[in-house]
Amino acid sequence: MDVVLLFAMIVGLLLIGVPIAVSLGLSSIIFLLVLSDTSLASIAQSLYQAMAGHYTLLAIPFFILASSFMSTGGVAKRIIRFSIACVGHLRGGLAIAGVFACMLFAALSGSSPATVVAIGTIVIAAMRQVGYTKDFAAGVICNAGTLGILIPPSIVMVVYASAVEVSVGRMFLAGVFPGLLAGLLLMVTIYVMATIKNMPKGDWAGWGEIWSSFKDAFWGLMLIVIIMVGIYGVPGVTGAIFTPTEAAAVASVYAFFVACFVYRDMGPLRPREEGGRPLPLLSRPHAVLTAFVHRDTKHTLFEAGKLTVTLMFIIANALILKHVLTDEQIPQQIAGAMLDAGFGKIMFLIIVNIILLIGGQFMEPSGLLVIVAPLVFPIAIELGVDPIHLGIIMVVNMEIGMITPPVGLNLFVTSGVAGMPMMRVVKAALPFLAVLFVFLILVTYVPFISTYLPTAVMGPEIITK
Amino acid sequence: MQVSASHHSKSTLYRVVNEIEETAIAVILGLMVLVTFINVVLRYGFADSLIWGQELTLILFAWLVILGISYAFKITAHLGVDAILNILSPGGRRVLSLIAAACCVAYAALLLKGAWDYWAPFAGLDATTGRWFPTGFADSRDQAWYETEQVPIPFAKEWLEANFNFGEEYEKLPRFIPYFILPFGSALILLRVVQATIRVVKGHQESLIVSHEAEDAVEEAAAKNAED
Repeated sequence: MDVVLLFAMIVGLLLIGVPIAVSLGLSSIIFLLVLSDTSLASIAQSLYQAMAGHYTLLAIPFFILASSFMSTGGVAKRIIRFSIACVGHLRGGLAIAGVFACMLFAALSGSSPATVVAIGTIVIAAMRQVGYTKDFAAGVICNAGTLGILIPPSIVMVVYASAVEVSVGRMFLAGVFPGLLAGLLLMVTIYVMATIKNMPKGDWAGWGEIWSSFKDAFWGLMLIVIIMVGIYGVPGVTGAIFTPTEAAAVASVYAFFVACFVYRDMGPLRPREEGGRPLPLLSRPHAVLTAFVHRDTKHTLFEAGKLTVTLMFIIANALILKHVLTDEQIPQQIAGAMLDAGFGKIMFLIIVNIILLIGGQFMEPSGLLVIVAPLVFPIAIELGVDPIHLGIIMVVNMEIGMITPPVGLNLFVTSGVAGMPMMRVVKAALPFLAVLFVFLILVTYVPFISTYLPTAVMGPEIITK
Repeated sequence: MQVSASHHSKSTLYRVVNEIEETAIAVILGLMVLVTFINVVLRYGFADSLIWGQELTLILFAWLVILGISYAFKITAHLGVDAILNILSPGGRRVLSLIAAACCVAYAALLLKGAWDYWAPFAGLDATTGRWFPTGFADSRDQAWYETEQVPIPFAKEWLEANFNFGEEYEKLPRFIPYFILPFGSALILLRVVQATIRVVKGHQESLIVSHEAEDAVEEAAAKNAED
């Protein structure tokens, strides 16, 4: 009963416009002070330990930073050029290239809105120029952008792994096949729609263009290799080289060098005027030092820091709430109630889907995961659901939450980027939303898609209750 | 004072403080990355490592976030749900935003008391009594001899020992230094929340939230698309 009151208070505060973090934190504080003997000092300690005590979460600022360097560093436009060279000649080619570019960018960044902004800004305008409707363009990018949290690295997966203490490395691997499958489903849908509606197709620019655009995008795409090889090692040659957190730090240093010294779209060697050529390093050798303190570098660090702060403020308060819930033994109570009611695995997964789809309308995905994951995790283990599989189901639910009205995050971002009213974006996204729903059902009931790769690479998982 | 400053001409003080805050956020994040990166390089290149690297990075992480929270209140960057606010009349929106602001002030005030109570014993000071509100000072047990696990003391070791540890030697950085961010950051949060509330009362600002993390970037992108 008390817990119902707690959740009612959180939702109430959210709806009147209290920041998400404060809604979670204030409700938990009041609950703890009234009903338990926890002191304010230990709540303050939890807030501090949310950062200082979670080494896994440290990957979040680093992945955000790597993707900020990549976005300001002009990697997006190179990836788009490469994608168009590969698939642009198909019927509906530019739209398919947009999805492909979103998938590649998702593998560089850990966030969906970041993917929509980076790719959507360029692709939506380009699609309109060659004769696609604005609605179709917005619908495609809005959906494909959600792949940002499914294709590794993913901030949401780091949060899940930290909340239920599974391996980040396993979660990342588990996201690979579902991510490719979702992208492929979207592409096939676009191809079919394009063929029926006779949408424009681009010209085949030849293998030469594929090769030269690949060379151009190479340094950006190498980041994926660094992260993957770093976390898993070269199969058969080396073991893991870094922890995921270290891989993220190395990735951001690498991204900084690529942006400042290879692509030179930011930093001291940036072209002096719009569209000009970047300066060669030899002409200004001192750039090796000044790049570190250049204002572009500082600005990127600051923006990444700001985003980290707003996300971590929510996660830290969600951790305080998680503390309340586990103290009150809520997960055990819910598990007991569900098992008594005779719910099986399938019913349980449906309930998880529904909770997350509704919750995803109101909450920022990482905060929601911190709260829901520990609630459903014990039940999942009890029912024999694989923890990694559960994680992927949750991530896919979050994806769909991002494109369902009223508060889908990607809807807002797309409507801003494309300059369209929300309702038009919602309508435009609907056909692809249906595809993602089919995908959700597939991922939920075919665990093999998620668990095959991590088991093959890292061996079978040992579940300790 | 800053309320008027941020809405009319930005005063020198405002700009200086703003520069300090933004630089602090950038520098702390930069240090976190560098320390972690250097540790990886040392491990593979020189079979060595900074034993305090990870602990220091985690401390900086806490500093980054707790300092940043107050800054994000200042520039209204915290995420929230504005679905209800958007369908209300301006009057209704104002009433709800004022209630929301009051909740934030309450949160910040409770956090500040908690932060002081937690930090004070580590610095050899007294925590406050009272469960919700500080009612006086308790005679807290001095915990100034607690040290971090690995972080060395870079400078002012004697001064710290003489003033906080009764002249006893510190082998590692005492814990009250990293924990200091709690009372300091919480006080800043309370200040920024109160300032934001005043702005809402005066009608300079509509609410304390933004609806999504990419709002700035989206505005830039929309401006670009409009030019096309």
